[in-house]
Amino acid sequence: MTDTTTQERVSQRVPLWRDVVVLKWVTQIVLLFVVLSVMWFLASQAGDNLRARNINTDFDFLERPVDIQISEGIDTHPDTGGRALWAAMVNTLRLSIAGIFFATVLGVIVGLARLSDNWLVRRIATSWVEVLRNVPLLVQMIFYYSAMTAAFPRLGLETGPINGWLHVSNKGISMPRVHIADGFYQWMVVVLVGVVAAYFVRRHRQRIQDVTGANTSPILWAVGTIGLFGLIGLFVHPVFSWLGSVFSAVADLLDSLPVAVPQLLFSAIAVGGATVWIRRFVSDHRSARGHLSLTDDDWFRIAFVAVASLVVVFLVVRWSGLSAWTLNSGRDLFEVLADKFNVDGAARPFDAMRPDIVQPGKFPNYGKNGLTMSVGFASVFFAVVFYTSAFIGENVRGGILAVPKGQTEAAKAVGLRRGQILRHVVLPQALRVILPPTGNQYLNLTKNTSLAVAVGMSDMVQVGTTVFNQTGRTLPVVAIWMLFYLSCSLTISVVVNWFNVRMRLVER
Amino acid sequence: MTDTTAAEPTGGQTRDLSGARDMIVCEDVSKWYGDFQALDGVSATIKEQEVVVVLGPSGSGKSTWIRCINRLEIHQEGRIVVDDVELTNDLRNIEKVRSEVGMVFQQFNLFPHLNILDNVTLAPIWVRKKPRAEAEAQGMALLERVGIPEQAQKYPGQLSGGQQQRVAIARALAMEPRIMLFDEPTSALDPEMIKEVLDVMKTLALSGMTMMVVTHEMGFAKEVADRLIFMEGGQIVEQNTTELFFSNPTEERTKLFLSQIL
Amino acid sequence: MSELSSHTGNITVPYTPPPETPKLSPREWVKENLFSSPFNSALTVVTTIILLAVFRGFLSFIFNPVRQWDSTATNMQLFMTRAYPDEQYIRVWFCVAVLLTLTGVSMAVWQAGSTVPVAGLGRKLLATGALLALLALLAPFSASATVQWLAAALAVAAIGEAIRRFAGRGESERTVSSLTVLVVTLAGLVTSLWVVPYGHHSYIAKRVPRVLAEPGTVALTTKLPWTIMLLIVVAAYFAGRLMRNRLPTNPTRATLLMLWLLAPFFLTYLVLRDPDFDMGHVLSTDLPIFAAYAVGGAVLLSWLTRPSTGETGRVVAVLILVAGFCTFLTPMRQVVRLDMLLLATFALAAPTFAGGPRARRRYIFGWLGVLGVMSWLITSINTPSTVTVPGGFFIGGFSITLFIAFIALVISFPLGIALALARTSSMPIFRQLATGFIEVVRGIPLITVLIFFSIMVPLFLPRGMHLGEVAAVAIGYVLFSSAYLAENVRGGLQSITRGQHEAAEAVGMTTAQKTVFIVLPQALRVSIPPLVGHCIGVFKETSLLAIIGVFDILYIGRIVIPGQTEFMGSTRENVLFVSVIYWIFAYQMSKASQRLERRTGLGER
Repeated sequence: MTDTTTQERVSQRVPLWRDVVVLKWVTQIVLLFVVLSVMWFLASQAGDNLRARNINTDFDFLERPVDIQISEGIDTHPDTGGRALWAAMVNTLRLSIAGIFFATVLGVIVGLARLSDNWLVRRIATSWVEVLRNVPLLVQMIFYYSAMTAAFPRLGLETGPINGWLHVSNKGISMPRVHIADGFYQWMVVVLVGVVAAYFVRRHRQRIQDVTGANTSPILWAVGTIGLFGLIGLFVHPVFSWLGSVFSAVADLLDSLPVAVPQLLFSAIAVGGATVWIRRFVSDHRSARGHLSLTDDDWFRIAFVAVASLVVVFLVVRWSGLSAWTLNSGRDLFEVLADKFNVDGAARPFDAMRPDIVQPGKFPNYGKNGLTMSVGFASVFFAVVFYTSAFIGENVRGGILAVPKGQTEAAKAVGLRRGQILRHVVLPQALRVILPPTGNQYLNLTKNTSLAVAVGMSDMVQVGTTVFNQTGRTLPVVAIWMLFYLSCSLTISVVVNWFNVRMRLVER
Repeated sequence: MTDTTAAEPTGGQTRDLSGARDMIVCEDVSKWYGDFQALDGVSATIKEQEVVVVLGPSGSGKSTWIRCINRLEIHQEGRIVVDDVELTNDLRNIEKVRSEVGMVFQQFNLFPHLNILDNVTLAPIWVRKKPRAEAEAQGMALLERVGIPEQAQKYPGQLSGGQQQRVAIARALAMEPRIMLFDEPTSALDPEMIKEVLDVMKTLALSGMTMMVVTHEMGFAKEVADRLIFMEGGQIVEQNTTELFFSNPTEERTKLFLSQIL
Repeated sequence: MSELSSHTGNITVPYTPPPETPKLSPREWVKENLFSSPFNSALTVVTTIILLAVFRGFLSFIFNPVRQWDSTATNMQLFMTRAYPDEQYIRVWFCVAVLLTLTGVSMAVWQAGSTVPVAGLGRKLLATGALLALLALLAPFSASATVQWLAAALAVAAIGEAIRRFAGRGESERTVSSLTVLVVTLAGLVTSLWVVPYGHHSYIAKRVPRVLAEPGTVALTTKLPWTIMLLIVVAAYFAGRLMRNRLPTNPTRATLLMLWLLAPFFLTYLVLRDPDFDMGHVLSTDLPIFAAYAVGGAVLLSWLTRPSTGETGRVVAVLILVAGFCTFLTPMRQVVRLDMLLLATFALAAPTFAGGPRARRRYIFGWLGVLGVMSWLITSINTPSTVTVPGGFFIGGFSITLFIAFIALVISFPLGIALALARTSSMPIFRQLATGFIEVVRGIPLITVLIFFSIMVPLFLPRGMHLGEVAAVAIGYVLFSSAYLAENVRGGLQSITRGQHEAAEAVGMTTAQKTVFIVLPQALRVSIPPLVGHCIGVFKETSLLAIIGVFDILYIGRIVIPGQTEFMGSTRENVLFVSVIYWIFAYQMSKASQRLERRTGLGER
């Protein structure tokens, strides 16, 4: 509407206060101003109050020692705040990923059971959904927690050596597990090579299939290739130990670079990216006859990209610490990698171990050999899995019901069997309906793991709360929380969207 | 530039509109959607009380054009002047033009959550600020005029397509417009309902309303229109009085179109 | 709580019940539904065994003699209202009575309830009898108890069978209103309070042991009020029926809705809190401010709503808005600022929503009403309470759950609609701001928001201003709920076709008029199912209050009662009770929403 050539042809001038375009933009800018000033007001108030109470808002607590005990995970006695949050993050991620997997499995079962021919199974599934959906997750979680703490026996050294595969006590549930050993990283390189090889194998088989029409099962071949490489890698992985020196060379290079290099690099990326984007955007919106038509949105986007790139440049130049930090952490990363590859040639990639019990201080506890989940972890895990399975079950049921009956009948008419109908006709169509709300449930599950704070399991929120109680850095911890959970949400939505787009393509 | 001597006998009536004032003036109107040009230098003048039918294959820009006249779409080049008010970004002009120009849509677009009478009286009450009683009296009169006073308390979903379209006409008339635009008013109707809508439109034309109608109803065009405009590819290919248009089209594309449609 | 469903703009699709399936004989039914194939038979057998085992385990948990169900029964008052003083308890009953009166009247005015076949009821009772018999056989009862339970089961089943016989078949099938069933059930429950020896529990703080549990029926202070409440709700229902027949429908419904909205504020602030108004201050400060705004605002609005005022009016309205924001630059009473902003909102909307003289008058009365309610609320919030309760905040337990859920929903509703409109707006800055807010809030867990607000809100306030923890947390709930609500409403907004927008524009409506009269009514109707889901979600999420240490029902059930010396370690019993309470409410809401969907035909496509 703000067109390039309209203005000179308009005979009567429009007064500014009656021009809709002007009014529209003035309203928006005023609102932006109001929002920004409210935020500024709140921020300055908070700043004053924080200063008055002598509270800091910097991130140095990440490097400082804290006194936190973490219920389980990679590090139960972290020495710094950063390490504590890191261990907590790993716990949250473990919980979320395991939860998503099991909730999906259980949810599909529940959804199918709700559509079963068997009256009893149908009723049980319905009750499952109606009960679990309508009781708050937190209440369920606390109930499981108190039930488990009351029911599980006390753990003691006198329980004797554990011969069983599974061990249950008030300290949690312990299972045998496979450890990553020293040779693992070299082995991973072999597997990566296998992935690349698998890509080519798959393409090759696919080509044969396209040409001859015979079923060459390309995916199976690809998976087989990766498996083969993994197997061979168990024996030949030391051949990649030379990578260690490469990594340490890179680390040395990064160490010797001046700060200006990443600064220049970041600025160039920001400005160059913005320029390329704007030029492409404008040329996309130019008609064959050279007429440029841009809406308000388009102008906003262009302005936003330009301003954003300038802000990035400003930040990079002004805050040289960022560039120095990038260099340092890059160097650290490569040093760690070099260290990982610098191992004894006979090291195995994996170790399998059974649960054990140790008594470092007054009380016995499970050692590091087994895969142990504390009672807190177990209660959060079961609660989120059961709770989410009810919702996913409803999604599955809705998705299957959304497939028109005619589809099944048509498939029957061309002679497909029941299983084939489900696999080739119903599920592909139902998945399109099931996937978006189920993705939402995955997001909810990840966020819901934060309720673990109520049962003392050390997740992101619980450890974060302890950290800011000890250090007084509330705002930085909240910022870390937001960053973490937003990236989780973003990751999940990207993955779900990717699947969704693929489903749409399959449909066509 | 344009042929405005529409003094031919149309449908049994003779009208001399040469002295009438210009109601709608379009000069060189162009519009693009992205890089697709929907209107390409459209120029035409419509006189007061004139009935103009716009013809053309689908995608020829006829709907876009009449929607520009109501500023539902915004033209990017050229001038549109409606009843001496130029359509610009001026808030006051937009408000004025909207209340002077009534529009009837292909899909009726009645408000499904309001009953028929409320559909008709909503705009007079809130836009024209009429007292409710007065607006309702006027609304009932209009419903009577389009022949469905007994449906006043029903909801749009309970009415047939033809009835809905007549309500839509009443709704537009309730704002007491000086110009009525019809965007394919009968295209979404079953054949047996087309006549009832066309009849309402005919009476409206006879009452002296300035009308611009996009339609494929050739019978209606022959009977009621003072002038026909044929569009293709966003341009006006030919415009002429009804009689001359059908009997003696000058352009090849018009002839082709007429041979396909008649 | 955020499953969006995309409905098209279909509004009134008449609901047609599915055709009756032919009745099967029990044997055919069992064969059809349980043993139709070998796989099915195996499934039936396996699930039956598992089900019986689970049921037995559950029963031996419930009926285990070591269970301290006493702890739940004794602390019922604590669960519901926390430590509200006994001598003031009549206030609580008054609140319940008001809400029940409203419920009864509303049920009559909205014609709630449906007719249900009597035979179906009989079948339900029969099934209940069978379940009771199963329970009697599986639970770890003594022989005499088993016999008693079995007798009860038989009695219920016999009543069910009698009702089924009585109901008749086919054409002459008897039906009964579901409300009658409800009232009979409730009456039965209330009567049982007088008859059945549930046990007489009292908690006496000054005695050791503090809990007095005697056999017999419940205390008079429990059974008498509940009997009165039942009578009140029945009376209210009949009063509502009279009103339905005599009063015009729409104004009555609007008034009732207003009462529903105002009642919780009125009850919490005037009844439960009993503010001790400082009349001198009220007369010298609050009333003059109110009067000034009332008179000035009324004059201004009557000028603004005149059609001849035109654009000058808009300029004046904008100036008032600017003045409203400027008041934040200088120190003054908070009431003055808020009233100014309210006036600016009314002034901005005035040219759009004022029609003829009657509409103008109504608009001005609307201003006076809103201003009055707001002034009264601010005054009573700022006034100290005469009801002194330990811990400061005057409600707790289940009532704080309901209170927070209500506040969160009522305040986030307009906020969510505004966010949804902004997100679907054609103005890029509006849209980006709204999208940013919604996506950030939806991306983080509620508990982090609550922790953030309970800690940070005191820091955001200017010095000298205080806000209780509950209020700070309520802000967190409101913001969180509004982001989700906005997404639900957005689904509805997107279902409005472009034609509706164009038709509204073509008859000359402004954007505001189009939104209020055309777009929102349709969009909200489409969003009813997800919005009810949202209500259930917010209700369930109030349980998170327990984590930040507010004395809500879960906190009492998990921490407070198991901490009492008499009831050490009774967590499981009380948490189970809490989950039953939550379940009953949430399940009823979801059932109601399903009924609503069927009635409006929204679920049908």
